Amino acid sequence: MSVYGLCIALSMALFLIGAVGVCVRRNAIVVFMCIELMLNAVNIAFVAFSRLHGGLDGQVAVFFVMVIAAAESAVGLAIILSVFRSFISVETSDVSELKW
Amino acid sequence: MMISAIVFGSIAVAAALGVVLMRNPLFSAFSLVVNLLSVAAVYASLDAHFLAVSQVVVYAGAIMVLVLFVLMLLNLKNESEAPRGWLKMTVASCGALLLFTSILPVVLPAVEMLYRDSVGGEGYLVEGSVLAIGRLLYSEYVPQFELSSLVLLVGVVGAVMLTRKQSSDPSPREGGLLGGGRS
Repeated sequence: MSVYGLCIALSMALFLIGAVGVCVRRNAIVVFMCIELMLNAVNIAFVAFSRLHGGLDGQVAVFFVMVIAAAESAVGLAIILSVFRSFISVETSDVSELKW
Repeated sequence: MMISAIVFGSIAVAAALGVVLMRNPLFSAFSLVVNLLSVAAVYASLDAHFLAVSQVVVYAGAIMVLVLFVLMLLNLKNESEAPRGWLKMTVASCGALLLFTSILPVVLPAVEMLYRDSVGGEGYLVEGSVLAIGRLLYSEYVPQFELSSLVLLVGVVGAVMLTRKQSSDPSPREGGLLGGGRS
């Protein structure tokens, strides 16, 4: 197995661990961190395929993913803060106002 | 290259498992820092040097400081004492394992074939240096680059708008839910 196959397997493993974390954990901040984990997993796949194809476009895509992740973390943490201000909790099971 | 990818990849997987399995959110955050640093090392072993450095600066530096700051601000001492939900945990991890073992045998031969076809098993020698990435970023990807600055600006303004305290609200509950429309 080449290093590229290894990186793709690593990327898949990290993505699935992140997805399990999003499904299982109830703390909104931990869910947020699991989303960061999934973004990183996709970035590893981008870098591996960019290297495999001999171009740098995949690495530029990773750069843009990082930019979006920075903006997303600012807005997401602000949302978590205002949810905490309203509900005095960041458990996702407590925030169920729209649940029928 | 191969050895460092194996070592840091296994560290990354272990740290990712720590993020999901740790009870205390603070420990998950530190585990995520370890994961991000080892992913940066994987980038470096793939010759993506600029991305390795910006991963350390942006992810392990800026984003994780923000997460830890909010975690400290909220002071979540008495949370997650509820039962873990072993059924949900088992179903989710079995599903993920099933997906992993079913997709990997399909994807890996394709990647290996692509690798053999590239340069006779040598692989291209592209180095993701600051010069090469910057040259591409400022020539071919200029519109996206400008748009990303706009996205960051909107993110900053949105974060300030969302966390601003609404004064003169009779009840905090209503203010929190309706304050956005009123201000």
